[in-house]
Amino acid sequence: MSILVVAKKDFQDAIRSKVFWAVSALFALLVVGLGAAYASFDLLNGGDPTGVGLAQFLASGITLFVAVTAIVVCNRAIAGERESGSLRLLLSLPHTRLDVVVGKLIGRTAVLAVPILGSLVVGAVIGGAIGGVFEPVPIVVTLGVALLFVLTYVGIFVGVSALTKSTTLALAAGVAYFLVFEVLWNLVGTIVILALNGFEPLGAGTPDWYYVFQNVPPSNSYSTVFNAALEATTDGTYTAAPPDTFYGTPWIGLVIMALWFVVPLAVGYARFSTTDL
Amino acid sequence: MAAIQLDGLTKTYGGGVTALQNVDLTVEEGEIFGFLGPNGAGKSTTINILLDFVRPTSGSARVLGMDAQEDSLEVRRRTGVLPEGYQVYDRLTGKQHVQFVIESKESDEQPADVLERVGLTDAAERKAGGYSKGMQQRLTLAMALVGDPDLLILDEPSTGLDPAGVRGVRETVKNVAEQGTTIFFSSHILPQVEAVCDRVSILRKGEVVAVDTMEGLRESVGADGSMTVYAEPLTDEHVAAAERVQGVTSVTHEGDSLTLSVADYAKYDALNAIAAQGATITDFSTTEASLEELFMSYTEGSR
Repeated sequence: MSILVVAKKDFQDAIRSKVFWAVSALFALLVVGLGAAYASFDLLNGGDPTGVGLAQFLASGITLFVAVTAIVVCNRAIAGERESGSLRLLLSLPHTRLDVVVGKLIGRTAVLAVPILGSLVVGAVIGGAIGGVFEPVPIVVTLGVALLFVLTYVGIFVGVSALTKSTTLALAAGVAYFLVFEVLWNLVGTIVILALNGFEPLGAGTPDWYYVFQNVPPSNSYSTVFNAALEATTDGTYTAAPPDTFYGTPWIGLVIMALWFVVPLAVGYARFSTTDL
Repeated sequence: MAAIQLDGLTKTYGGGVTALQNVDLTVEEGEIFGFLGPNGAGKSTTINILLDFVRPTSGSARVLGMDAQEDSLEVRRRTGVLPEGYQVYDRLTGKQHVQFVIESKESDEQPADVLERVGLTDAAERKAGGYSKGMQQRLTLAMALVGDPDLLILDEPSTGLDPAGVRGVRETVKNVAEQGTTIFFSSHILPQVEAVCDRVSILRKGEVVAVDTMEGLRESVGADGSMTVYAEPLTDEHVAAAERVQGVTSVTHEGDSLTLSVADYAKYDALNAIAAQGATITDFSTTEASLEELFMSYTEGSR
């Protein structure tokens, strides 16, 4: 109960951020544009628009947006309230610090889910109308996995926000995270693989561990899970053959997403629950 | 049962800064208790411990008979707080603020009634970020009173308020106290506490240096005030005559005036004694013993 009261208050507060709505409007344009473009150009749909193709096209467009807005929307979630002093009002009421962390998680997830799920639905309807495809299953899969992805990202940055009382530090951590996992990771991985192979062409493919390495950034594990979910619900193969080991399954992506969700939140809460405010 | 009971409360922050040193304090149910001390004396740390914002290094704090740490949720359920250095949610309306507190405390009050109590009916649908400082303070006070708390903690409630605002806080405190609510009123400004409190404690550098009723404090100042007498001529004989009067503790002669430290009852006798030595008194003025001076003497450490 207490958690939902905090979540509702947090949603009402964060949803009114002007920066958030400006970014969301841009995002909505992008997703609707992607849907319309997929349905309109043979170059993109191979002359035959499909529900799965449309879903994949839309889903690929959200990763950058979710990463950036999650940092913007969540880095102040707790650190901002500590810095401004509104946390003193919040915690003078009968809420535990766990209520605050979980309430923030739910509130901010809801805030991010509004423009993301909304844009995806509009993009799917417009793209589907132009291309003449109406397949609900791939769209439902897209929405479901997108929500998981949002939850993962909100978990990371609410966790970071619980860790520090400085919004500057929280933002710096967000930017550092973004550079390492969303910008450099794939590049560094490729260079490492090439170096291990003596910069010769990769004849025998990549080593097994690289499969996990590749899935470490949440946006990569999200793609893996999304494609695996499409495979499970429709006819077709959308994932590369995994290596023949115990972790060689696309569902490893789900495990990695879960770790991204749990670990920063747990560490952030552990610190937040014992610190002097 | 005491409303607040501190036993040997000590708080040392990282870096070895001692904010509280072995503080013992009891606030009885139903009192208006003034918690006095200069900035940095440890008042906020004490309140932060009562609310479990900060954990004590040693000692214990009990609020409404419950442990401030173990039973913090129940403590905060029955306590209203006007915290120091708080900030309202700029993007939420006054009504949303009150609604949030009502839901948090599971009270059945109506937001409109709560806002009406502090005269914010017209501003209910406006964002609190656009409120003046005084309106924000009234909103926060209204929030603190939701759910009819058994204990009301006010931490520097007059900061940033104009005189009308300060008076408003004082009236609210009196009204709330009449309904039996215990009030813990923290301030570094004596007159604000003096006007409403039954008892006060004075905190200095993390230690309680005095706990007394307002009357007791006044008595300990003594009845001595000072009186300045302008007369001519003034000689050593006049000084000696004034000193002989019972109730006069000191006399200083400066130019055409004498300054006497004198008990109230002896002022007339002292004037007579000076006149009897053949001086013409042209003017005189008296000042009451000041509690402010006592407070300063405690907090500045000359005592």
